[in-house]
This record gives sequence, structure tokens and C-alpha cells, in this order.
Amino acid sequence: MSEFLRILEDEVQIVALTFMGTVYILRLIWMFRFKAGKELTDPAGNPQVGIAYSMMSVAMPWAMESVRQNWNFYAQFVIFHLGVVAAISATFIIPYWPQIFETSAVVHIFQLALGAAFAVGIIRLIRRITSPTLRLISTPDDYFSLVLMSAFFGSGVFAVPNQYQASELPLIIFFIMTTFFLVYVPFSKISHYLYYPFTRYFLGKTMGHRGVFPRKRGGEQPAGLE
Amino acid sequence: MNEKCINISDVINLPLDIKEQIKAVEDKTPCVVDGRLKVYNPKQDNVKKLLELLKPKLSRQVVSSMVGCVHCGMCAESCHYALVRPHDPTMTPAYKADQIRRIFKKHFDWTGRIVPWWVHANSPKDDEDLKRLKNIVFGTCSCCRRCTLNCPMGVDTAILVRMTRGLLTELGIVPEGVFVVSKDSWELGNQMGVTQEDYIETLEWMEEEIQAELDDPTFKIPVDKEDCDFMYTVNPREIKYDPRSIGNAGKIFHLAGESWTMPSWGWDQTNFGLFSGDDKLGGYIAGNLYKAAKRLRAKRIVISECGHGYRSSRWEGYNWAKYEQDIHNESVLITLIRYINQGIIKVDPSRNPLPVTFHDSCNIARSGDLIEEPRWILNRVCTDFREMYPNRTDNFCCTGGSGLLSMVEYKPLRMEVARIKAEQMTATGAKQVCTICHNCVDGLTDVIKHYKLDIQVVQILDLVAEALIIPEKTEKK
Repeated sequence: MSEFLRILEDEVQIVALTFMGTVYILRLIWMFRFKAGKELTDPAGNPQVGIAYSMMSVAMPWAMESVRQNWNFYAQFVIFHLGVVAAISATFIIPYWPQIFETSAVVHIFQLALGAAFAVGIIRLIRRITSPTLRLISTPDDYFSLVLMSAFFGSGVFAVPNQYQASELPLIIFFIMTTFFLVYVPFSKISHYLYYPFTRYFLGKTMGHRGVFPRKRGGEQPAGLE
Repeated sequence: MNEKCINISDVINLPLDIKEQIKAVEDKTPCVVDGRLKVYNPKQDNVKKLLELLKPKLSRQVVSSMVGCVHCGMCAESCHYALVRPHDPTMTPAYKADQIRRIFKKHFDWTGRIVPWWVHANSPKDDEDLKRLKNIVFGTCSCCRRCTLNCPMGVDTAILVRMTRGLLTELGIVPEGVFVVSKDSWELGNQMGVTQEDYIETLEWMEEEIQAELDDPTFKIPVDKEDCDFMYTVNPREIKYDPRSIGNAGKIFHLAGESWTMPSWGWDQTNFGLFSGDDKLGGYIAGNLYKAAKRLRAKRIVISECGHGYRSSRWEGYNWAKYEQDIHNESVLITLIRYINQGIIKVDPSRNPLPVTFHDSCNIARSGDLIEEPRWILNRVCTDFREMYPNRTDNFCCTGGSGLLSMVEYKPLRMEVARIKAEQMTATGAKQVCTICHNCVDGLTDVIKHYKLDIQVVQILDLVAEALIIPEKTEKK
């Protein structure tokens, strides 16, 4: 392995990761500087249960009509985010636990996850370009983030075999992209995972307090009968 | 049910009508003179003022919804505007929220401040942009929160739209109907311009009607009686257009042997502050209600059937008024359930034989807590209750929510997108649609008239009163 690739896989990633972490901490401080609301009403439900329900909604595709009627979209979401997990994992496995990728079955599983996520990324990109609704609301950041993610997944397919003896190029491309990602993500919509707990927490707290969450599907005991 | 499509530019470019604002200034209307209600001032820098007003409105909850949207477009599949107008991308909830989001990004968010074009961050240029913003947030969204509950990220578009409405209300850039109703609310303490005299006379009239119906001179609608079990609060629409609903409620309370009263002031449980986004107005109206209950030493506040009224009085009002809840507060539905369940009143469902379906009010199902309660009652006072689909938290708005009934300029678009509601009701085959909201009564009545449906709108109190078994000794001779 060349010294360039070694530094790229290790020190450069640590610096980039530190940068991302620092920006995220600043971002969280920024978020917490905005005032928190105060609830002055008696509860009809349990805010904690509401928060838990809201947070878990990502794993409850039946809970939202928009997802119930778009299983295909939800499947794409799952595949895409499994690809994210695979790609991020690979950025740590390759430099620090390379023996894991010596097992060909593991490599194939990662390649499958990354390849499928790449395909979903392309489908999503086509959808964003062809749908008038999505075109209207999409920003350059939306398109770029999707292109970047797809390219990252694609490069990951070739990087995970970790065959630097044969050619370092796939690994160099993959880790240059990773570095760019770590620096760019905090300023892009890709960092939505940082905000998910906030949006879900506030919605869950409000709706849980009012007894709207967990959502009712019929058959529950109404209030007033106790 | 084919409907001609409205050209959206006809809605977005509707002018700002300030005739009523000018009249209020000329009349030296107190709330305008003392600045509680703002009028449009073309000479001031309204864009700068909007930005000044925006900053203190940014809570963590609002900011999280500002930054959380990933533009996935799922909201378009839950909004009745977007579903009926799939050819019109401006109906997408994310697009509507982006109108305030882009201002936030330009002035408060990092990326938007540095490279605004990258994230579509920008400021309104002039008052014309603000007027277009007015038409988007008031005219193309009923704040029903259906998109909120269907957003994978949990982005609350409805609170962003309401907040934007509030900013524009502070600038007087509002539909004329919003100004007029806000003025009435500030001046008379209720949103329909009902005077104290009209209110008391209507209650006396209803008292006489029910006395005659029951042949019982002891029947009273008590006003300002202290130390009662509960204080009953109503929608001014009941005073003005549907006093029978107060009579029905009074009759049921009387037969239940209840100790109750109505306040002479602070009786309006509705709240236009919810619609205009004006938290100060919201706090004033809700505060009147809470103070009246305190003054009368009532043990509970009972809220008549109203979606936004219930949401405002039970939930939002305390926070707007910064008033820690000190008295139990419940919907009249809970009171009715108690009576029926404990056998305090008897009902005969065979008196309501027509097939009836139920329309969940957005403000109660998605922003409140009464979902199974109306169904429990309907199953006991009607013989043929049928669900509407989708229902509960997935139900579609009556299309008259968020004050749209008072904004006549947006009615053509409202009626166009009401197609989805009309189809929902028609599919049930019901002859009656029941709702627990006076606003929905008017909204659904508009839909029924427009689409020529053979359905009648009723409320729970109507059906319970119809099914009520009146004991022999007080039955009308």
C-alpha cells in the first residue's frame, strides 16, 4: 500500500471526521440557542410515549398513510439507508479491520448493499428530475447530495474488496469521496439525520401530551368512561 | 364530479384588499388605534419589519421544522390541495413551507447565508412578494396537519404556515376577512361580532323554547351563576346561526340534573388567533375564557362542539395566554359520554334511523385527543353508523379549516380541492354526515351544495337530543 493511500485512509479521515464532529457540535449549540416552548396544559396522554412513538415511526411503515400507500418508496428508503450504513462501515473496516473484508461473503454482502443503494440513488435522481413537483422544490444541494451519495455507493462497490495490491485507484477514489463527504455533509441536507431527533422529539412530545400519539386505529376506550 | 381547474396565478396574485382596514382607521376603532390590530402601512419597510418579527418567533420546534425538510415530496401525497391538483406543483406542502424556509435560510442558516443560491435561500424583495406570500399561506393551505403526520421526518409544515400568517398579520398583509374577524374578536371578545345584548337575548329565547318543549318552567340557562360544576362555553356561530344547539345542550344538562352556567363575558371558545397566527389575540380570547371560569369558581370548563375552538381552548390557548391550567377543561362529548355511560340520560338510537357517517375535524383528530369518543356516542344514538375512509388522524379536511370560510376570495380553489371530501362522503352512502365542529358544518355544507350531494350535516348534540328519552313527567303534553 502506498504511503499516500495509507495517510488518506487514516490521518486524513480522522482530521475530516474531527471537522465534521466539531461542526455538528456547533450546529447543536446553534439549535439549543433557540428558545424552548413551555407546555402549560394538563396532559391527555403521555409525552414520553409520544416521543418514543414518533422516534420509532421510521421503523413503523404502517403508521403513516404516505408510507402505507407507497411501499415501493419505503423499500427504496430502507435500501438507500442500508447502503449508507454499509458505506460508512467500510470507511472504518478498510483501514482498521481489513481482515473482515478477507472473507468474500462479507465483501459480496457489502457490494450488494452498496450496489442496490446506488441503483436506488439513480432512481431517486431520475424521480427528482422528471417529477414537476420535485423539480419545483429541489435545490442544487438536493441534486448534488443525491449525485454524491450515488457516486459514493458506486465507488464503494469497487473499494470494499480492498485489493490495493491490484490497484489502489478504487480505494483512493472512495476515500477522497469520504473526505469530501465528511467536510461537506454538515452544510448540506444530508445532515438531516442530525435534525430527525429534533423534529420527531417535538412532534412526539406535543402529540403524546395531547393523546394523539400513538395513533389510534379504532377500538380504544374513549376518555370519560373511567 | 368534474371540476374546472383554477389558474393558480389567479390565486397567488390576488391583490391586498384594505378597504376594511382604512374604514377601521377612519372609525378610530380602539384595537387599531392602540396597535393591538395592525393595519397595512405601505410607507414602512415591511420586508425589514418581517425579518425583525421573525427572529423572536423562532423556537427550537420551529427551527427544527425549518431545517428538517429533505424535499422528498411525500407531503404532496397527503395534502388535499396537491392530490386534487397533481398538475400544480405549487400545491405541495413543502413548496408552501419553503416560502418562509427560504427567508429563514437566507438570514439565519449557515449555508443559506454563505451560498444562498445553493439552497434556494432568499428574501422577499418588496411588498408585492409579501402579498404573494399572503396568498400562499392563507389561500392554499388549511393547516390541517395531514402532511405533518405523513412526513417521514416529522416536519410540522402547519406550524410554519401559521407562524408566517402571524408575521403577515403583524404587517396588516392579510385577507380582508381575517382583518374583520380579528377586529371583531378584539372589540367584542368573540369572532362573529355578537354583542352582549344579542348573546343574552338569544340565551333567554332558547330558555323559553326549551321550557315550552319540556313544559317545564324550572328549565334555566343560567348566566354568571357561581360555584357550578361547570361553565359551558360556545361558538358564536351557535348564538348567531344555530341557537338550537345551545338549547339542546341545555336540555340535556337539565335532564341530567347538572349544576352549570354560562358566562356573560368570556363565553367564546373559538379563537381566530389560531387561524391568523396572532398569539396575542389567541391569548386574549382564551384568557377571557379561563378568567371567566375562575371568576365564577366553576369546577370545570365544558367546550361545545367545535374543532378549532376545542384545540384553542383545551390546548393552545393556555400557552398563548401564558396561563398555567388551573381548572379541568373538557369537550361536551366527554360530558355526554359520562351521562350515557352512567345512565344519567337515556337514549333511543331508533330515533336516528338514517345512515350516518362521521367526519373527523382536523383540529380535534390531528391536534387534539377526541377520536374514539364521537364514535362511542354515535354507536349509541344512531342505528346505522358508517365509517368514512380514510378516517381518524388520516381524515381529509372539510376544506373550510384555518379560517378559510372567512376568506371568500379563495373559495373557488377551496371548492375545487373539496372534490376529495365530496368523494369521501359519497362513498359512504350515508344520508347524514356528523361532525363535532361548527366550522366543519359550514365547510361541509359548502361542499355538499357545490357538488350537489344528498347529505345533511348534523352534530353530535343534534343526534343525542333527537335520541333523548325525556322522562314522563317532563315530556311535552
